[in-house]
Amino acid sequence: MPVFRWGHAWNPIRDLEREVDQLLAKVSLFHGIRFGQQYPPVNVYELDEEFLLTAELPGTRAEELEVLISNGVLTIKGRRNGPEGIADDRFRRQERPRGPWQRSLTLPDHIQEEKLAAEFTNGVLCIRLPKASATQPRQIPVTNGNPG
Amino acid sequence: MTNQIVPRSNSTGPIPPVEYPVDQVVFTPPIDIFETADGLVLQADLPGVSSESLELQIQDNKLSLFGRVSLTIPPEARLIHQEYQVGHFLRSFILSDEVDHERISAKLNQGVLEVILPRLSKPEPRRIPIQIV
Repeated sequence: MPVFRWGHAWNPIRDLEREVDQLLAKVSLFHGIRFGQQYPPVNVYELDEEFLLTAELPGTRAEELEVLISNGVLTIKGRRNGPEGIADDRFRRQERPRGPWQRSLTLPDHIQEEKLAAEFTNGVLCIRLPKASATQPRQIPVTNGNPG
Repeated sequence: MTNQIVPRSNSTGPIPPVEYPVDQVVFTPPIDIFETADGLVLQADLPGVSSESLELQIQDNKLSLFGRVSLTIPPEARLIHQEYQVGHFLRSFILSDEVDHERISAKLNQGVLEVILPRLSKPEPRRIPIQIV
């Protein structure tokens, strides 16, 4: 059923487009892998009290999103879902990345790991990393060594 | 050509540092289109777009979507590490006459827009009685 017309494309061209889309989808699950970048790409913002780490993950269900922290390494993992139960030959266009992903990031030392919080809004994950309060410099007393 | 795929600039080379807030950049969102028994379904990735900031329009036979990204990042936050660019989303499509424009519906869930494009139901063939004169 020709619901979309792609310019002056006749069916063979449209089929070819679809074939190429599917071929590309097989070769590179994610753009990140294709360009040697880790997936998902993240941005980090700094505020006075905390760092914010954001990642765009549309098509991920919040309950399938895992945020783990252990020994200063933050691991986020999840899965981007495509349409379910649709045979490959039903697709006219297939551009959205899909599949499971995982990424680990080393955090700076001065993060309060136990106060880490994450929210997922409109397909954007935002992780709050509160900074540890700066420790007071501690004076170390120097005593005279006993000479004798 | 309206349906050309423009790669997001995060995919090539180093990104020049940009000033916060949202760059005035417009991306072509990736889409899936698939057939169902009732017509076609279009899905588009629009991370950061809420239903209030999404404009979906049909004019004549052109369906266009514009998603305005709103970040929940406070404006005083400084961007210290950037791997992707934030921008709005724009894309348009030419619909064929076989889509029932009146019954098009759409929903947005966690950054994914789904547009249902039902096929126009064809009227049953009608037998025309021939009068004998």
